[in-house]
Amino acid sequence: MKNTYLWLAQLVTGILIAVTLGIHMVWMHLDTILSALGIDATEPTSWASMIQRSRDIGWVVLYIFLLAFGLYHALYGLRNIIFESIQSRRIRLVVTWSILAFGILAFAWGTYVPIILLSK
Amino acid sequence: MKRMQPHKSNYLGILGWIWGGNYRIERYLYTLHRVTGLGILLFSLIHLCVTTFFRMQQDSWEAAMTILHNPWFKLGEYLVVIAFAYHSLNGLRLILQELGFGMGKPVPPIYPYRDSLRKSRRWSMALIGTAAVISLVFLYDFIVGG
Repeated sequence: MKNTYLWLAQLVTGILIAVTLGIHMVWMHLDTILSALGIDATEPTSWASMIQRSRDIGWVVLYIFLLAFGLYHALYGLRNIIFESIQSRRIRLVVTWSILAFGILAFAWGTYVPIILLSK
Repeated sequence: MKRMQPHKSNYLGILGWIWGGNYRIERYLYTLHRVTGLGILLFSLIHLCVTTFFRMQQDSWEAAMTILHNPWFKLGEYLVVIAFAYHSLNGLRLILQELGFGMGKPVPPIYPYRDSLRKSRRWSMALIGTAAVISLVFLYDFIVGG
């Protein structure tokens, strides 16, 4: 039953990533088309633009959610792929805890920096 | 209860991703789904490091961005965009099929058999077409925007 919920979360985070990462991709990589449509998205990788987004609570919340959804979806998918090659219960446990620890560390680091920049 | 172990001689491992018998297009789409997923994971971890370590100082940020605007990095970035477009659309197809949408009603197994996956192949074709259109839109911006 637990695996059913974990798999359901995999499907739900997949859809949520498509939305949040889609917004990020369009903003970062379709700047010419957005500018032609009258939306100011010029030079999204410049320092000024990056700092402006870092101070906007909407962008910060979007990126933190994207990080959470992305880490869960990617690391759970990676765990499933590794599990296909490993039958030992003990090694599977080590893999699960290693991936979980890595995910928590990456999420902590990935949220620490935007929150520090938001408060600057 | 003793756990069932897969028979070792029947186990293909990662080579089975490439060839394991009479594969159809959906099986290769699934393999590509995994490969693009692993690629996006690798890129995301590098991206997370770059956008956090170099974000504290303007000089280091601008130096990092100068390196990343190299044409080879731009090409790599474009490949990630294609991978994302493919992975998200194929993922949506897999979710719809897993939940039973677009599979048609179950029918008795009377010869000649029709499997539901082949009946819903139009979804696969629509996915490939949409991913190609999205990739072309991004390619236009990569070329025009630099």
